Amino acid sequence: MKPVVKVVHGPNGWGGPFTLTETETQTVVASITGGGIHPIAERIAELLGVPAVDGFKNKVEPENMIVAVVDCGGTARCGVYPKYGVKTIDVIPIGPSGPLAKFINEENFCSGVLVEEIQLIEGDEAITAAVEADVESAILASEPSASAKFAAEGSKVAKEAAQEEKQGGFVGLIAGMGKAVGGVVNTFYQAARDSLDIIIRNIIPFMMFISVIVGIINYTGIGNILANVIKPLAGSLPGLLVLSIICSLPFLSPVLGPGAVIAQIIGVLLGNEIGKGTIPTQYALPALFAINAQVGCDFLPVALTLAEAEDATTNIGVPAILFSRLITGPITVIIAYLFSFGM
Amino acid sequence: MDFLVSLAEGFTGIVSAGGENLVSLITSILPNVLILLTMINAIIALVGEEKVNAAAQKLTRFRIARYTIIPVVALFFFTNPMCYTMGRFVEEDLKPATVDAIFTMAHPITGLFPHGNPGELFVWMGIATGFTTLGISTTPLAIRYLIVGIICCFVRGCVTEVVTNVMLGREKKAK
Repeated sequence: MKPVVKVVHGPNGWGGPFTLTETETQTVVASITGGGIHPIAERIAELLGVPAVDGFKNKVEPENMIVAVVDCGGTARCGVYPKYGVKTIDVIPIGPSGPLAKFINEENFCSGVLVEEIQLIEGDEAITAAVEADVESAILASEPSASAKFAAEGSKVAKEAAQEEKQGGFVGLIAGMGKAVGGVVNTFYQAARDSLDIIIRNIIPFMMFISVIVGIINYTGIGNILANVIKPLAGSLPGLLVLSIICSLPFLSPVLGPGAVIAQIIGVLLGNEIGKGTIPTQYALPALFAINAQVGCDFLPVALTLAEAEDATTNIGVPAILFSRLITGPITVIIAYLFSFGM
Repeated sequence: MDFLVSLAEGFTGIVSAGGENLVSLITSILPNVLILLTMINAIIALVGEEKVNAAAQKLTRFRIARYTIIPVVALFFFTNPMCYTMGRFVEEDLKPATVDAIFTMAHPITGLFPHGNPGELFVWMGIATGFTTLGISTTPLAIRYLIVGIICCFVRGCVTEVVTNVMLGREKKAK
């Protein structure tokens, strides 16, 4: 029986895990990494007992590829092979991106893969994987138009690659520098994409939500009523202490926690009042702690799981933290109060 | 009819007041947050998770570092919610206290480094907006918020450690 290799994504990577095996039509591991065979391609080829081919120098038909190893920072190559149904490993840890992002999914794409995490699998799992691979390759082979199109693209790439063939000495040094610079640029580019993702998924929606609330408060005059309630609580040290104790009551704190939505709304209300001058600025710092004595109380068991705590620790830890908040909530307000002199 | 008109006008008023607020948030805060996020995300990627983990593992032995440096590092490099995975480097009995200290840093970090908890910016930003309205710089408040936050992490970590130990002691006696 043919060996089967399992691939999982690396620490910052995305996609996978998937299995790879040789089939009747899929017979080579292609490395399309700017000249030369990437160590990951080499390792997979070695484990599968098939040749690894430099996809830049030699044309490889996609239907003959068991897997394509690419080093794409998220522009084109990472999507090309998934588009043609070839399982793709990107050595750079990126998520689905680029113009072909819609073809990238967890079944056909795996990024940031580490050489040492590539391993052979055995037994039933391997048999199922092998059968699946055969079926897939049959499907792929029955799509001639796709491979024809790809061949045209492939030859173009090969021509480009021929011009920058791997060389030693001075040219090699420049190529190395180019790769290093490219790595940094790719890192920043990916960082920018991630940032935009966070802004669109989290920050802008919350800004919209807050704006609706601010709109209602400012326009209707509810703000004045709220101000009368908030002022005695947030405008004096005893008031803030009471607020922190309310927030840290063990039966209330887990309810107040989720998404810090309540703390955020109160933050906006207080900011409004500070802006109007109702609440003096020196109460801003203690208020930040008073409205947040419950931080994370809804999330305790999950956080302890992330910290790999045992069940027994979680059973003790959750009530311990909830109880501790009752003590530390007011203490944090006092510390913040002491630190706000001279504001 | 008049009632309907005033109702409609009132509704439009709310919408445009909210719209104004949204525009001011997007033009004033958003560009800076975007650039900062990009820079810091890149730095984190360049430094690499493994190095941070290795350094953190050494630091967790010392109480003062465990409840001060670790929360800041956790939020800065791993951000909410993955920051709590730093808790796996400490002994079992210290996990609740360490996690609690990290929780305490979840918002103080956002004053200077909003990338640490970008989904919950408005605890800080809500109150900071008051300063902006008054024309006062928010930086001094952000710095104090972080410093006091670190002190509070330490206090909370220590208190929770004691409470956990007391509860564990009782449990053992009961058995």
